[in-house]
Amino acid sequence: QQVNSQEGLELASAETEDSTLQTAAAKKIKIEIKEKKEKKQKVDEDEIQKMQILVSSFSEEQLNRYEMYRRSAFPKAAIKRLVQSITGTSVSQNVVIAMSGISKVFAGEVVEEALDVCEKWGELPPLQPKHMREAVRRLKSRGQIPNSKYKKITFH
Amino acid sequence: AGRVWPEPGGACDAAGRSWAWCRTTRWRRPQPRRDRGRKCGAAASMADEEEDPPFEEDTEEAGGGPDGGQGKRKRLFSKELRCMMYGFGDDQNPYTESVDILEDLVIEFITEMTHKAMSIGRQGRVQVEDIVFLIRKDPRKFARVKDLLTMNEELKRARKAFDEANYGS
Repeated sequence: QQVNSQEGLELASAETEDSTLQTAAAKKIKIEIKEKKEKKQKVDEDEIQKMQILVSSFSEEQLNRYEMYRRSAFPKAAIKRLVQSITGTSVSQNVVIAMSGISKVFAGEVVEEALDVCEKWGELPPLQPKHMREAVRRLKSRGQIPNSKYKKITFH
Repeated sequence: AGRVWPEPGGACDAAGRSWAWCRTTRWRRPQPRRDRGRKCGAAASMADEEEDPPFEEDTEEAGGGPDGGQGKRKRLFSKELRCMMYGFGDDQNPYTESVDILEDLVIEFITEMTHKAMSIGRQGRVQVEDIVFLIRKDPRKFARVKDLLTMNEELKRARKAFDEANYGS
């Protein structure tokens, strides 16, 4: 509210000259961005605190699992080799980082869905291939598994 | 010894065994019986599932299966995927068959993404912008990629600042 009146004054006095009008608009955008950043930082700090409280109350088994969850990753060399063998050209490091990251998220989605299936069928881990296949079938129906192999019929 | 180059146009050797792919070129090498890794107890019951272990081992030497050689490929991510599955909620010792299925899924995912990325933006190349574009509809993956790339930038900046500080002293 205070900011808006300030902007209003700035805009009103700047109507005479184009350059000052641009500066006022630019200032407005800068202020908005700064406010959003501060709000986001506060939300992040809250989340970090909550995570710390949660992790400090983990049992040993939970700590083990959490450590595996955070630490496990695909080896960058293998991913780079795989992508380069598909493209035939070299790829940048950022591509490898992005690809390993989303692959891990993808693996997580499959495993979580398979655990849901396992629980729904009244069975226990370890996950069996039938759970994995059912999980893939469900994810496919939700469009979360990319598939560009369907048969295109040109003339029917 | 052991490395034999294929005849031009030949797909199999005299015994009907197909060529094993190495990374850069085709050459045949004697295939040892594949070590199946830890089977964690219930292996006997797992054999009933669709994939028959003896069949899978044979595909390494016999003609390629319909799935385009994925049965032949050496397992790339076995160790890492085991840890990952445990981290995501599976048992501490996941079944090898499940790990294999997940590895095939991940490789198929990466292949699909790469092909799609090659077809948009700059053709024939994979760039980060293309990946981000493809992922835009999936909130989890999009957020993850953004986090990873920003963290990488911060780390690079920090390392650079650290090196410059050291250079002065």
